[in-house]
Amino acid sequence: MTAPQTLPTNPSLPTTPSPTPLAPAAVSARPGLGAALRAEWIKLTTVRSTWWSLFALVVVGAGLTVLLGAVNAEWLASPEADESPASFITWGMMLAPAVAVVLGTLVVTSEYGSGMIRSSFAAVPSRGRVMLAKSLLVAVVLFVVGTATAFLGYVGTNPFFEAEGIGLPLEGDVLRAMYGSGLYLAGLGVLAVAVGFLVRHTAGAISILLGTLFVIGPMVLLVPGAFGEWLDKLMPHNTGGALSMPVSFNPNLLEPWTGFAVFLAEVAAVVAVAAWSLRRRDA
Amino acid sequence: MIHAQQLTKRYGGSTAVDAIDFTVEAGRVTGFLGPNGAGKSTTMRMLLGLDAPSAGSVTVNRRAYGSGGAPLREIGALLEAGAVHPGRSARGHLRWMAASNAIPAARVDEVLDLVGLTDVADRRVGTFSLGMGQRLGIAAALLGDPGVVVLDEPVNGLDPEGIRWVRHLARRLADEGRTVFVSSHLMSEMALMADHLIVIGRGRILADTSMADFMTHHAASHVLVRTPQREQVTRLLADHGVEVTEAGPAVDPVLHVHAGDSAAVGDLVSAAGLTLHELTLVRSSLEDAFMTLTADAVEYHATTQPEGVPA
Repeated sequence: MTAPQTLPTNPSLPTTPSPTPLAPAAVSARPGLGAALRAEWIKLTTVRSTWWSLFALVVVGAGLTVLLGAVNAEWLASPEADESPASFITWGMMLAPAVAVVLGTLVVTSEYGSGMIRSSFAAVPSRGRVMLAKSLLVAVVLFVVGTATAFLGYVGTNPFFEAEGIGLPLEGDVLRAMYGSGLYLAGLGVLAVAVGFLVRHTAGAISILLGTLFVIGPMVLLVPGAFGEWLDKLMPHNTGGALSMPVSFNPNLLEPWTGFAVFLAEVAAVVAVAAWSLRRRDA
Repeated sequence: MIHAQQLTKRYGGSTAVDAIDFTVEAGRVTGFLGPNGAGKSTTMRMLLGLDAPSAGSVTVNRRAYGSGGAPLREIGALLEAGAVHPGRSARGHLRWMAASNAIPAARVDEVLDLVGLTDVADRRVGTFSLGMGQRLGIAAALLGDPGVVVLDEPVNGLDPEGIRWVRHLARRLADEGRTVFVSSHLMSEMALMADHLIVIGRGRILADTSMADFMTHHAASHVLVRTPQREQVTRLLADHGVEVTEAGPAVDPVLHVHAGDSAAVGDLVSAAGLTLHELTLVRSSLEDAFMTLTADAVEYHATTQPEGVPA
């Protein structure tokens, strides 16, 4: 924090007419979704938390994959290995969801925390449009950066595998896991935006999301029998996450695309509740 | 023009704004005055479509907020507490606002210049002083060159130079024919800024009057009299039905004559052949008038005895 600075006084101010008078209100066109998207894009790119989040996404998603791939390549090529190399090629993308959740949440809750949400709704009175614009941007950014990160992890890891004779070609399930990572993170970002609008509080929203994905998710394995198996299949990190891995560590999961369809339905349900509540509650 | 009709906001059991009616006309500065918690900010949030009224309505240019074209070109608002992300620069904040309402980006630099923030435009808002934050809020309000300008507690945190600047700005905006609606809990500030006054207390309108009328009707006055013949003067005035109280130090008390006309008091006393050492008309401050008015509102609620509460 720097000390408050004395502002330059400008005695001529009050008498200076605005040099470019704008069109009177009566004829101004109602700005549409495009204007809301441009505004949200400026918001997203003018705070540091966005860049930190995306930087962390690349470090965790690609960096950890390369690190673990390099360390485990020899073991994976050996007869004792009980995991396939493909299950390691997107290893870091198992933790990337935490970063996607933080990014998606902050896009909303930082506005509630600072009171800026009032400026946002005053500028764009259609709250659904604000939510849609935020969701679309977060989804696109996370899809692009998520896919690029998965690919970076592959490019960094595969040479170590090739050196051990277990290199993976970029095709089939491996290729699908690349853009699958982007799709899963995009879905999580939209989910986080919706939870952000519901909870309106950074710590609360992130706790709920990370708790559901990483704590309750693994804990349902403790529920016995077929019911427990189904709970495990239906937890969002399992429904959506399967698409981001060429081979899953967990054999109980739904088929990747089936699981992703279930994941999208789960996200849509939360989005619907959030949108409904957003219209009804005071800002 | 802003128009509220039976505007009501209830939170659970308590009523923050209680069926108020008022109109804010164009071309003048209308002060919205009330103690903290009187319902000013709630009213302004309903005006901007941020809070939904429990009953009644409030319109801007005869439409509900946001139902027309680009809202920021119609009404600009300085919101309480700035409503700005601390991690964003002043320019970044104004840029997204401009984009959201299809306002040319060049206008951002104009309003930055207008409020004197050009030199710090790229600094993060979190490092701003309260006064700089207020200036940014005012820049945001003026961004769309709107016909209606709403300023919620604009002088909070401003230095005397800044307060003067806001006062002149409000005046200029009104002179340009705009509707200017300024809230404050400081009567003295309103007295210097506003042409028209809407006083709110406990969610009800206590006064809706021109500033001149408010001063005449609510700024009580008395005549201060210093005389060596206190008893005779007191008796004389009491005989004429004028209330007199003693005040000041016990060794040399003065008389407070509860009348508005010092000349009449002087004539009366000299006609009786009594001596005066001092005769001064003392007008109580607007602050006092405001306190009296809002105290009445509290009394009104507590005893349900409507006593001198102007509608």
